[in-house]
Amino acid sequence: MISLMRQIMGIAVIQFKGIQRQPLWIAQSIFSVSAWAITMYAWGSTRALENLVLVYIVAGSWLLGLNIVAQNIGWEKVDFIYDSNVASPITLPVYFLGQVVGEIPYFLVNLVMALTMAAAIGMQLSLLLPMVLIAMVSTLLGSFLSLSVILRLKNPTNISSITNPLYTLTVFLAPVYYPLAFLPPVLREISLILPTASLMEMARWATQTPTACNPILSFISLLVWLSTSTLLVARKLKWGSE
Amino acid sequence: MHAGITITELAVVTEDLGRKFGEVWGLRSMSVALERGKLAVIVGPNGSGKTTTVRILATILKPSKGAAEVLGMDVLRDCKKIRKKIAYLPQEYQINKNLTAAESIKWNLVARGSPLSEADLQTKRWIQEMGLERCRDRSCWTLSGGEKRRVAVAMILATNADLIFLDEPTTGLDVEACLVTWRIIRDALRNGTTVLLTTHNMKEAEILADTAVFIKEGENLVSDNPHKLIDLLSSKYRITIKKEALQNRIVKQSIDIGDKLVVYARGQNEVKHFLSELRDLTSVASVNKVGLEDVYLHLVKGDGLYD
Repeated sequence: MISLMRQIMGIAVIQFKGIQRQPLWIAQSIFSVSAWAITMYAWGSTRALENLVLVYIVAGSWLLGLNIVAQNIGWEKVDFIYDSNVASPITLPVYFLGQVVGEIPYFLVNLVMALTMAAAIGMQLSLLLPMVLIAMVSTLLGSFLSLSVILRLKNPTNISSITNPLYTLTVFLAPVYYPLAFLPPVLREISLILPTASLMEMARWATQTPTACNPILSFISLLVWLSTSTLLVARKLKWGSE
Repeated sequence: MHAGITITELAVVTEDLGRKFGEVWGLRSMSVALERGKLAVIVGPNGSGKTTTVRILATILKPSKGAAEVLGMDVLRDCKKIRKKIAYLPQEYQINKNLTAAESIKWNLVARGSPLSEADLQTKRWIQEMGLERCRDRSCWTLSGGEKRRVAVAMILATNADLIFLDEPTTGLDVEACLVTWRIIRDALRNGTTVLLTTHNMKEAEILADTAVFIKEGENLVSDNPHKLIDLLSSKYRITIKKEALQNRIVKQSIDIGDKLVVYARGQNEVKHFLSELRDLTSVASVNKVGLEDVYLHLVKGDGLYD
């Protein structure tokens, strides 16, 4: 067990050094979450911030999986670091966990801001406890979805040109920052096809915030996404013996 | 038993090992037995199957045919057990540039399960061994290509794995760095480590290898101690000469290298005789003893250097 923890720490520190050496990435995240909070509050007052608390947890964990962890793994495949790790005592779960832990500061920026806002507007913090599970599902699903696309790319240098638009589509165009209820009724259930829309609906339901659709639909959508993306990733993300 | 060696003394055994990529065979047939605690070098031209062989043995690729055992374990059945005992430096490995040289070695060891104190100790040792003191605390962004490659080699050698695969480890290194790396690799054998290295540099293979495995178009042609292979050549000397100097003279054993010719001689007397018949000695570029390169040329060109 101790050896496993050490292995995870080893992988995590290697990833974390990237943040340590290039702290402006984290500064950018801080500027971004602060700017959105001010903008939302200016236009929508505390009601907008209530939504933003959930958005920051869902979108932050989604970003961690989809655009950071998956991209790292993609680049490490290109750089043959992945292969060198395969031919070692490191296992796939250890490698994956190490990647997530090492890049978690990006999510922490969102989380700290979300908790600060929640405290500031008087939200009951215990209501946010289910968000731990939702954030975990969001990271896992984000990384699986991204990896199932990245690992099928013929030209591996295009990794960020795929993950960035994917993030914009699933976070900005999808009903994440704006409520699902804003869409015409006919589009609400259709938009639950997008995993982030379902994640946000689940988050609203879990934190006793009004939802626009039956939460069972979101649950089913997430279940389908999880099983499909797991299958798609399992076909391409091989830990050796390819 | 393989030529008087028991199976337990073998680090790698392959039997008709092959791998197909789509319709193309990357490796057609590789049958070798490599001893533990020795340094084996797979030599061959680009695209001959060296990397594919190493990637199968390092459990990255599955073989399409044949069988392979690494440290007495089957590459398919026991891949998890094998991985605990090996380390692999891919040919195109790029080190993480966000780390310093010391951090690269240290955290790679920790990721493999080494305790922090042990990782620190090994890092100190390998930084010194590889002559990387000046790079120790420098971000890998600022290192030259050769320095980065040395850091990568240090990362792998520091693992103290039972079997180390190095795919063209000296590519991009200058002469001095090559010499340091060769010394370090040979030193690693003293701890009982087995090293399997690939190269297309014959000189490197001749200097380093206990066993040289020649591979061409996915098939291994011959494997033995490089000096034994050289001794088997009927010619003992090679004379490199400008073609024009020969005029219309016919030479028996020679290899055409454009405007020059490599002429082979069986002994010193034959060399003296050949040179005495030349009008212009300045056309002679060099006279050397034959080496692994000549074994390779013979195997590839098949010109009967062995009688």
